[in-house]
Amino acid sequence: MMRTIEVLLVVIILTGAFITVSFFVVLPGAREISPINLRRLSFTTLLMLDSNHDLSRAAFEPNNYTLWSGLQTALSASLPANVLYNLTVYEVTGETSQLYTIINSMSNAENLGASSDASTYVVASSNVTFNVVPEKIGLEEGGGTLYILSCSDAPGWWVTGYTSQSLAKDLYDLLSPYFYETVMVQDTAEFEQILNGNALHGETLQNAVVINTCGEAVPIPSSYADAYDGNSYGEYFYELGKRVNQYNWTWTSIVGWPFYYVSNTAKFANRDNGWGIYGMSQVGSAGLNAFLQGLDERSSYIPGSSSTSSPGVVHLSSEVIDSSNYYGIYPSPYQTSTRALPTAYTKEYHLDVTTYVFNPVGGSIPAAIYRHNGTDNSYEGAFYAIGLTRTPDIRLTALGLLTDYHPRLYRSEYTTNGTSRIVVLQLGLMGGM
Amino acid sequence: MVSSTIDHMVAFTVFIVAMTLFVGLFSNTLQTAVSYQRQSVTSRKASDLLDNILLNPGIPINWGRTDSMPTGFGLQDPEFTQYKISPYSVMRLVSSVMDPIYYDVTGQYYSNITVGDRSFMLVPYSLSLNYSQVQSLLGIRNDFGFQLTFTPIVTVNIEQVPSSNPITLKVSASGVGFPLSHASISYSIFTVKSKGQSSPYYKAVYGTVVADETGTASIPTGVPSGEPYAFMAYVSMGGLVGMGYTIHPGEGDYVVPFVDSFENGNVLIAHSYAVDETSLPNSAVFYNSTFVLLTEDFRLRQMPVLLGTGKVVYGSGSDKEYGNLTIPTHNPGILVVTYNTNDGKGVTFMPWGISSLAFAVTFGGDPSQQEWVATDIRQITIGGVAYQVKINVWSLEGYQVIS
Repeated sequence: MMRTIEVLLVVIILTGAFITVSFFVVLPGAREISPINLRRLSFTTLLMLDSNHDLSRAAFEPNNYTLWSGLQTALSASLPANVLYNLTVYEVTGETSQLYTIINSMSNAENLGASSDASTYVVASSNVTFNVVPEKIGLEEGGGTLYILSCSDAPGWWVTGYTSQSLAKDLYDLLSPYFYETVMVQDTAEFEQILNGNALHGETLQNAVVINTCGEAVPIPSSYADAYDGNSYGEYFYELGKRVNQYNWTWTSIVGWPFYYVSNTAKFANRDNGWGIYGMSQVGSAGLNAFLQGLDERSSYIPGSSSTSSPGVVHLSSEVIDSSNYYGIYPSPYQTSTRALPTAYTKEYHLDVTTYVFNPVGGSIPAAIYRHNGTDNSYEGAFYAIGLTRTPDIRLTALGLLTDYHPRLYRSEYTTNGTSRIVVLQLGLMGGM
Repeated sequence: MVSSTIDHMVAFTVFIVAMTLFVGLFSNTLQTAVSYQRQSVTSRKASDLLDNILLNPGIPINWGRTDSMPTGFGLQDPEFTQYKISPYSVMRLVSSVMDPIYYDVTGQYYSNITVGDRSFMLVPYSLSLNYSQVQSLLGIRNDFGFQLTFTPIVTVNIEQVPSSNPITLKVSASGVGFPLSHASISYSIFTVKSKGQSSPYYKAVYGTVVADETGTASIPTGVPSGEPYAFMAYVSMGGLVGMGYTIHPGEGDYVVPFVDSFENGNVLIAHSYAVDETSLPNSAVFYNSTFVLLTEDFRLRQMPVLLGTGKVVYGSGSDKEYGNLTIPTHNPGILVVTYNTNDGKGVTFMPWGISSLAFAVTFGGDPSQQEWVATDIRQITIGGVAYQVKINVWSLEGYQVIS
């Protein structure tokens, strides 16, 4: 009898344990297991309503009945039938004890049930101009000068549809805010002056960025044209490479095969580039080779040739796409490259690629910034080659340079009173939880 | 001795019965808890998966506009941020609702996202992503199954007013059971003006009207009753944009557009007999095409199409001919192909970018046979048109998912 009583005691204990466990283990309902993500739903609804800036307009015009009526119709029409909503627009004042002031509100229910979720969305007034102050490139390292070659006596090639002067103007608008000083080099005489190490307006010559807007052609000062006549001007490019190294310039070629022609309307008045453009002389593939020899500080110039390849459609690197959003410059993310430099040049001329503007394709680099690795492991001169087909997109020139130097943007005015408002969309499910 | 034995026997029997009963009761509770864990994991996966798909453009980012296959799956429009979806990437998903179409002239199967009569969206399998490929790219193969459904939020109904001549159309727009009162409606009407053995001449009329408080507008078309025509309308209200269309086809053979290359914008124009064997390949079909896109100021604009006119026949052997035209832009729009034959004339549409005709797309597996399915939704825009995207996710692994 004793054993039976013991077993009954065990049964009582187990029953008690089961009842206790059942009491505490309350399994959730179906809605809790797989709830509709109301926060995401409200956020995506706000994004959709503002896709044509209608939400922003309504937030800043609380008394515009037509706008608010349209917004309510759109909101009711876009949400599932069992979803309750409350949309409220707040202004962040900060001037009084009340931080948020309700501007307007609308709802399709008196309360949103036991459980609801909300998202906030900041809308900006269309009348606001935000102030952005960019950091100046090279100021801390000594430099900060941007030279844009806009030589009136040097025609361009592969800049079809533009003139080098119009490209220079666009580049000035895009890039001058990021440099301490921007100098437009107006003719080849001024170009000669900076090549000889003399500043034009007291600007810092060292560590400057030089952009050649003549495409595949490079302006040649008259004295250099006289000095190097007879050797197909390869030696001029060799000398130019040495100067880039000496002054630690970043030389920028905006399109095509770099250093393919020299241009000077006075010196080559009766000579064309082989395609009927007078004022130019063809150097050919030797030009790039000569420049790289000079950049690499070779003791003497040995005539040679260079090569490029045609990888076809190429894609912006992820680094440049990030910069594209940061600086607000949006060129097409894919372009056609027909003058890509071989990867082998980096080893041959001691170049480090500091920025790939387009992703390399096989052994070809469609566009990149190369820095020459000097004898003491410091960079001495740089070369930005954009080996795309014509016509040039100077947004790529600007974007590549900005990606490489990465000047910061200091945004202001964003939180100024009255320029932005907060929209809160709170959603609940009919019937509660 | 006997009573002790009986005591033991009774105690043992009661103990065994009680243990069996309690093991069953406890395991039932445990199973319910384990099941909850599984379902909770699946539910979180559904939300994560949906955001992963909608908030990244894939690799390469513009894969929807190329003829290459992506190495990373995502549907976001690379030119935008947040929940804006590429109208081209969605076009490249194999529909799980419609049966594929085989076009024997090219020897290829085509994914069929076609909705309605005389509006076609046929993408070759060689350019399409199927369910298992996407599962692999998302890294969920053998773990989770899913189904994605893209549904336009705005429904635009177009009805012909009975016995009206010239035809008057009644256009009504509504959201989820809610009319879009005072919505702006931008529309276009296409009619074919000739019939016979030459490329047709067509007429396009554009206009804008505002709907009344019931979201309805009456639009006189000027088209005589019985004449074939095609009508498209974009509706806009407070950030919501929707699209609707109707095609009133004529008699006889017609043309069917097939996508040939996204990268180059190539479209093949085939004889209707290629896909509709109920019609007879009686005669050559002559066509004349144009491209219509919705501009940012909410107006329809026409663009010329390269090699937009031609003739197609469906005979035997070398007589099988198709046209090959090129869409000159990567902006979403509608390819409008007008055609005529000896017997009739008409218009066909093909969206360039899934949103242009507000096609609904269903992609993925079948959730109807699954034990438990988690669901999540988002509001998105595709090419400016408002859509709701729903994901259904289920586990393929059983209890292994818990880990």
